[in-house]
Amino acid sequence: MPIKLPPGISAATFAEAVKEFQGAVGADWVFTSEEDLDTYRDAYSISWGHDDEYLASAAVAPDTVEQVQAVVRIANKYKIPVYAISTGKNLTYGGSAPTYSGSVVVDLKRMKRVLKVDDKRNFALVEPGCSYYDLYQHIKDRGLKVWIDCPDPGWGSPIGNALDHGIGYTASPYRDHWGAHCGMEVVLPNGEIMRTGMGASPTSDTWQDYKYAVGPHVDGLFAQGNFGIVTKMGFWLFPQPESWMTGTVHVPKYSDYSALVDHCNYLEDAHLATGQTGYGSNLGGQGVTAAPEYRALMANGWPTIEQLDAYAAQRKVPAWRAKLQFYGPEKAVRASWAYAQRRISAAIPGATFTDVEFSTLPLSPAQEKTHHLVNFGIPNMAIFQIVARPAAGPNNANPYDGHTDFFAVVSRSGSEVFRAMKAVYDIQKELKIDPITATPFSSPVTWHHKVFFMGAGGVGNQRGDAEHNRRMRALYAAYIEKMAAAGFPAYRTNPGAQDLLVKQFSFNDHALLRFQEALKDAVDPNGILSPGRYGIWPKHLRQKKA
Amino acid sequence: MKTFIAILGATTVLGVVGSAFAADAGQLAMGKERFDYWCDTCHAGDPREAGRFLPGTASLNAKYNGSRPGALVDRTDLLPPYVELVIRKGMEGMPFFRKTEISDTEMKAIAAYLSRNTRQ
Ligand SMILES: Cc1cc2nc3c(=O)[nH]c(=O)nc-3n(C[C@H](O)[C@H](O)[C@H](O)COP(=O)(O)OP(=O)(O)OC[C@H]3O[C@@H](n4cnc5c(N)ncnc54)[C@H](O)[C@@H]3O)c2cc1C
Ligand code: HEC
Repeated sequence: MPIKLPPGISAATFAEAVKEFQGAVGADWVFTSEEDLDTYRDAYSISWGHDDEYLASAAVAPDTVEQVQAVVRIANKYKIPVYAISTGKNLTYGGSAPTYSGSVVVDLKRMKRVLKVDDKRNFALVEPGCSYYDLYQHIKDRGLKVWIDCPDPGWGSPIGNALDHGIGYTASPYRDHWGAHCGMEVVLPNGEIMRTGMGASPTSDTWQDYKYAVGPHVDGLFAQGNFGIVTKMGFWLFPQPESWMTGTVHVPKYSDYSALVDHCNYLEDAHLATGQTGYGSNLGGQGVTAAPEYRALMANGWPTIEQLDAYAAQRKVPAWRAKLQFYGPEKAVRASWAYAQRRISAAIPGATFTDVEFSTLPLSPAQEKTHHLVNFGIPNMAIFQIVARPAAGPNNANPYDGHTDFFAVVSRSGSEVFRAMKAVYDIQKELKIDPITATPFSSPVTWHHKVFFMGAGGVGNQRGDAEHNRRMRALYAAYIEKMAAAGFPAYRTNPGAQDLLVKQFSFNDHALLRFQEALKDAVDPNGILSPGRYGIWPKHLRQKKA
Repeated sequence: MKTFIAILGATTVLGVVGSAFAADAGQLAMGKERFDYWCDTCHAGDPREAGRFLPGTASLNAKYNGSRPGALVDRTDLLPPYVELVIRKGMEGMPFFRKTEISDTEMKAIAAYLSRNTRQ
């Protein structure tokens, strides 16, 4: 890829700025060669090799907060856009590439110190380049009695992940990574350092305990935003539980789903079954859409609940299941599971209970090979199986080289899930895709403890196939617009679709975005910081786009 | 003070003389350590996570269908430039690595480690 200059900056001015960046961080840590910049492309871009792929003009890797400040000041002096990444593993949502071509990536990977882990007050304070692996290892090496909550890919960072509203797999409320943060240090677009929450108090010891301090709580501006470069952030940690238990609830009728969801909500919100609930349908699963009886069910369009009840009865399997997970002392988790069974049996006739397992914690090395590690706060990379070369089929010779998916925010209610699954089905029908991922047996994921995310089907990337990529971009855009129209906007998206996603949040003529733009103009008048991230553009680029 | 410097100098010289061996072992140790940190979670030989598999090992098993080992550490045909290319350019679902993650020195060490059983 030919090197992009920041828009409107001459090669000579850029060379001067690069020299200053080198002065600030050391020549070894400024990258400008084509070869080096290739590693700042988005490996999973659906615009790979196209005109609209997002490309960096350079990358700068500071090692200290002072160096971050210096970089920001230089960027301001030359009006060069910069884009901060922590570990830069935001695959599916932009990788390590900027959201505005020609930006200089500020790569914070070298700043990877674990500044503090407290297993009495249960928090950590880390730098941006510290990965989940690093924090996990730090805790393990010292025998500290706290868990981290990690997303599926272990090589990302608590800071980078939380700043994109990432989610994980242990107990609520820790699965909501942004929600579980407490206190941050930020380099503002003018190069000044600010600490939020109790960090603003020069005397308080509660920076990682109490989020709010006094006055407006501004932390939200820095997640999916472009108001500063985060250099430190605190996270609340789950004190290592003594044991874990799981059991699966099955309910017979299709229409029992709503009651099942309500009871699982109760169990989670009352802090009885705080682990991630795994919903599924015993009528769904791989290959279901090819079965003749399924084809018959769907022959006249989306079936009614009564038809689905009859379908479940004919198949003689319970329609739905929910795998519950409990963390805590043995007596407590056993009592909670017993209570869950009593509560659900009394409310849903015919409910049955299977797959009960109890284990003390931590898991043994043997168990670590057989259990879903992220449920135990252990980072790993197994999820990348979804892009692995399959043993057979057309993709054996031509495996996917990336992955893109779409997740809509849906309230935790059976009727809303039914509506969302039908919305995905309608979109896939309209786009003439065989609706293999949209069935009446689709299930939401429960990464976040207060909402469901409904997937609309992941799609594999093919870097070299322009037509495939064009179709993927069109499909993605259709999901964003049509799912939002149906009531289900996405929670996160790749840079190419961020403007479109933000546009869906249009209450009172986009009052929220207009407010964010007013703040942007005040805080970052030169518009140097991550222009375009989640639809927030500085004035000069906003006017150009309009 | 002079003698101290002389002794220090001698140790340094000895270190340099021994480095044909020492550096190799050091490089291999670094290569193994960095491989275990960055690559093992996708490329290890032993299965992890019931019902799941390791994406790198599974892909290479699917690619070679038994003609080469699935686990990179068991390979006897890898050459350093090839490993370095894959680290910086990625391969199919495997993303590439930046120098801030794996420096050139570390990359060369990983490549040396994965090529340690290759006969040229
Ligand atoms: C197969 C697969 C599975 C995945 N599973 C999950 C999952 O289970 N949960 C999940 O949450 N995600 C998941 N993801 C998405 C993504 O890989 C992770 O969220 C990952 O943690 C994000 O990358 P990162 O942590 O390196 O963040 P980064 O890439 O470092 O940061 C993400 C973005 O945040 C902003 N940012 C980062 N650091 C700063 C800073 N210091 N200051 C200002 N802005 C900053 C930037 O805009 C940056 O692009 C998955 C992706 C794939 C491909
Ligand atoms: C996210 C998982 C993942 C990680 C982490 C990973 N790889 Fe890979 N790697 C893969 C996959 C998948 C393939 C196979 C692609 C294919 O199907 O051809 C692969 C292929 C390779 C190959 C090609 C082997 C051949 O026979 O052609 C090499 C060499 C390699 N990886 C080295 C590394 C090294 C070194 C690291 C660590 C620096 C690493 N990988 C980290 C997933 C990964």
